[in-house]
Amino acid sequence: MIVTYNWLKEFVDFDANPDELAALLTMLGLEVESMVKLGDGLDDVVVALVEEKRQHPNADKLSLCRVNNGKEVFDVVCGAQNFQQGDTVVMAQIGATLPGDLKIKRSKIRGEESCGMLCSEKELGLAEESAGIMVLSPGIAPLGTPVFTALGLKDTIFEIGLTPNRSDCLSLIGIARDIAAKLDLKIRYPHATLVEGTENTDSIIGVTIKDPELCPRYAARHISGCNIAPSPEWLVKRLAAIGIRSINNVVDVTNLVMMELGQPLHAFDCERLSGNRIVVRAAADGETFITLDNQARILTASDLVICDADRPVALAGVMGGLNSEIENSTTSILLESAFFKPAAIRKTAKRLSLHTESSHRFERGIDINGVVRALDRAASLIVVLAGGVLAKGAIDQYPGRCERTPIVFRPEKANELIGINLERDVILDILTRLECQVSHHDDGTTGVLPPSYRIDIEREIDLIEEIARLNGYDKIPATMPVARVASDRPTRHQEIEKQVRNLLVNCGLTEIINFSFTSPGAAGKLLLNEDDPRRSAIKLANPLVDEQSVMKTTLLPGLLETMARNINFRSLDLKLFEIRRVYLPVKGDDMPREPLCIVGAVTGSRDGDVWNRHNEPVDFFDVKGIVESVLDFLDIGGISWATDSADSYYHPGKSCRILAGLDCIGSLGELHPTVQKNFEIEKSVFCFELDFEKLVKLSRTKKAIVAPSRFPDSSRDIAILIPEELAALKIIDCIKGVKSKEVEQVQIFDVYRGKGVPDGFKSIAVRVRYRSIERTLTEEEIVSLHKEIIANLVDKLRVTLR
Amino acid sequence: MREKLEQLKCCAMAAIAAASSVDALQDIRISLLGRKGELTSLMKGLGSLDPAERPVVGQLVNSVRDEIEAALGSALESAQNNFIATRIQAERIDTSLPGRRAQKGTKHPVSLVIEEICSIFAGLGFAVAEGPEIEHDWYNFEALNFPPEHPARDMQDTFFVENNLLLRTHTSPVQIRTMLKQKPPVRIIAPGTVYRCDSDATHSPMFHQIEGLMVDSRVTFGDLKGVLTVFTNQLFGQKTGVRLRPSYFPFTEPSAEVDIACVICGSKGCRICKNSGWLEILGAGMVDPEVYRHVQYDAENISGFAFGMGIERIAMLKYGISDMRLLFENDVRFLRQF
Repeated sequence: MIVTYNWLKEFVDFDANPDELAALLTMLGLEVESMVKLGDGLDDVVVALVEEKRQHPNADKLSLCRVNNGKEVFDVVCGAQNFQQGDTVVMAQIGATLPGDLKIKRSKIRGEESCGMLCSEKELGLAEESAGIMVLSPGIAPLGTPVFTALGLKDTIFEIGLTPNRSDCLSLIGIARDIAAKLDLKIRYPHATLVEGTENTDSIIGVTIKDPELCPRYAARHISGCNIAPSPEWLVKRLAAIGIRSINNVVDVTNLVMMELGQPLHAFDCERLSGNRIVVRAAADGETFITLDNQARILTASDLVICDADRPVALAGVMGGLNSEIENSTTSILLESAFFKPAAIRKTAKRLSLHTESSHRFERGIDINGVVRALDRAASLIVVLAGGVLAKGAIDQYPGRCERTPIVFRPEKANELIGINLERDVILDILTRLECQVSHHDDGTTGVLPPSYRIDIEREIDLIEEIARLNGYDKIPATMPVARVASDRPTRHQEIEKQVRNLLVNCGLTEIINFSFTSPGAAGKLLLNEDDPRRSAIKLANPLVDEQSVMKTTLLPGLLETMARNINFRSLDLKLFEIRRVYLPVKGDDMPREPLCIVGAVTGSRDGDVWNRHNEPVDFFDVKGIVESVLDFLDIGGISWATDSADSYYHPGKSCRILAGLDCIGSLGELHPTVQKNFEIEKSVFCFELDFEKLVKLSRTKKAIVAPSRFPDSSRDIAILIPEELAALKIIDCIKGVKSKEVEQVQIFDVYRGKGVPDGFKSIAVRVRYRSIERTLTEEEIVSLHKEIIANLVDKLRVTLR
Repeated sequence: MREKLEQLKCCAMAAIAAASSVDALQDIRISLLGRKGELTSLMKGLGSLDPAERPVVGQLVNSVRDEIEAALGSALESAQNNFIATRIQAERIDTSLPGRRAQKGTKHPVSLVIEEICSIFAGLGFAVAEGPEIEHDWYNFEALNFPPEHPARDMQDTFFVENNLLLRTHTSPVQIRTMLKQKPPVRIIAPGTVYRCDSDATHSPMFHQIEGLMVDSRVTFGDLKGVLTVFTNQLFGQKTGVRLRPSYFPFTEPSAEVDIACVICGSKGCRICKNSGWLEILGAGMVDPEVYRHVQYDAENISGFAFGMGIERIAMLKYGISDMRLLFENDVRFLRQF
């Protein structure tokens, strides 16, 4: 909603300057989003007289002028041709700054001194184009008067961001009322002096409301013999100030009154209405109608139309019809002022995507008691501006009259909820200033009837809000609540999420956040099987773009896209992770599951290409190490690494599923070369996925802590040859399988292939560290234990000792 | 014997003076004073001397040994010092070369801000609550007093999914889910992902919010002001000015927009605060009785407040980020700075 300072002042006489008014409005909940001060800082641009004009000696197109500002006479060089000696002009004096940050300084132009500048409308920001300097009518104002003051243009334009509940403020009067209530001032309604003819309106035209549910009130007036013409300058300027283009005197009046009073009005060319009748009815399904923007609209039974005897002539509350609009030849006008049901107008406007100033107001709700006031105001103005005879009396069909009942209001409740302590009289006075009617009942209760334009006030809480608002939010003391103590630790789920995020960051991974939606083709890029459940994603009904049209079932594609994008920017060494939800449809349930997933991926060099590290590429064991850290941290036991059937997007020879017992809790491996190509990544990528929900379930909170032995250790190495297909982990398991208390640690310290190792075999070096918790082990004990372990290896795994 | 001793001493002193390394000095010690050393053998020869001469010569031997040992000792010490000095000289490094760092990743700024806000409210006794992102219209709108066809629904451009489901447009449905599950007192904070059908330089179709809700007996609007003042002061600094001004949300009444004094320009007026000196950071208000009706709370005997804020907006203010899109482009050159 755009309003101007000067215009508001016509309705309420406040002292606040524009800045104070902006602050006041904002603190009333009418947020001033922007403020433009016309002519601000242009006080040095003044009305001046050209006393002398002669040719510039050194330039054909320039003239030398002597210009009087009422106090002094200046030499000014000017390039315009459209003025003469004796003209009243606009001079920007030295020190002035014109729009566009043009500073006026003393200067020499082609050898002649110039102490100011004669301005055009364009230079003052008053016009898009101008063909020369601005020449004012003589005597418009004393010389030296700031030009914006002289032209009556000094004003401030406020753009107010209205909340949807304040439909009453979609008008100057509404905003003025709030100012008046806050400052305890009187409001002045725009006047309407009606000079009526002798013929009765209802003998000229009849109005029938067929659907009083959707149209509870319809009022109209008739003007004959008027003359459609351009609007006078004051009206054009007033509308222009708030961004409305002038059309003609009649249409401009309807717009002006809508802005003043918030009542949308419509003027029909009465001679183009057939049968001297107005019928308000629901449209027929499929009925077509051409609105005045020349668009054919197909209507439904939920739309309301205004008809003459034969056909629709307006789409009620939204837009008039091409068949009855005011034209230059129009002489007889039917002026409509009505109330339409907000929900119906909203539905129609939304369905047709036809959002107008009129529909905007109707769908939010207008003042049903203001219908006739606006009609009379507009009719009186039209007669003044367009002439003609106003028929006698207004038609006012009001079948939907309903009385509002007062709201039971407890001032002490207002104090209690807001946390203030106002006297009862002060509270009731605030409501009275808001034009509420306060009544005191015999049973001691208070009734409050809000004014008809405040349709948002229906309950006691609405009145309490008004008290808080008018008294001022800034006057409410800030207090700390008195609360009952509760034990509110983060849940295990929340705690683990945070810990895992910390852990991954400490493992060198950077967290990313991608959108939850993706393109329908993302699953295909991962080579997922046709029957993979991750291919059935939840679709958005109204996506913005196809790439964001389905909800993710896996985080991996997004992560890989992020990787590719970073590589394009030459960030080649990447370690990334994401912890987000995926969205999985559930059979037999409307609501999908939204489990949290963890994905991570690494590519490029492990430590970067720095002077004191070998520039080694990352490999499978980097991601495995990350996963092991997480599992270890959460103390998840019984983990095994299943090399069979990891997902299709992994390299089959360099990937595995992670099992906790028999339960698959994730996977890791190198990305399949084809998938890598699909995402346009050049170097190998190693990634992991973990099912967060399962991690939480399996994580152990109680760790068994063992006191360390105080006795010396002794280590023995074993070097063995095993076939390639035998998992190295089996050796460790086999050694641990001996279950000796004295085996403290078993570690693979070397894996070797090459010279001395036959093809199809690998050499594994294992170090076993022996130590007892109770005593120092003897050499004999260690030798015997070591023999047992080796014998077990040979026996169980058929390994060859080297 | 005397001559021999004198000669030995002379030779020894010359050899010690000539020796430059610890090893050479150790060799000299062994050759003179070792078991088969020259001086040792001389001392062994003392026995064959005339007993009358023995004490004199013995004394002389001792004094020669003492002198040699003293000379050796001081030469050894200086050789050792030399040796360390040489080693130190040889081992000098360029300490300006970069260190071998343990690699550390970074959390996303949105995660950082969520963690910080949650920890501030944890200190005020607020527990963290969560809810689904794919939500029923009833939780997202109806129960929050957005009736169907209400203009306030226009404030939230909604992504729809089939079955009357939608992507939640705010974290407020978590209020409803929490109140349906538990009776007052309620004190929760609900961070989460939300969605709106809108995309440009200042709007992202996906973003994050944090919702807060406190319901108890006798909670006032003044309490809301107090809690939010404490919160903004902890988040943005102790002296950050806070302003509440009237606004409208269907699920709170009275409602407020909460502004903080512009942290960019110190309230002098800048591009970010549109010259107002204030930055809008959250919406809040007293829970509307209609909401209590939907969750079967008795509005007459309890009261409470709710508030909600955009995480991205706060992250942008906190870190001076001018374009929201940076937060979702996941450029590591951006992310690694956090």
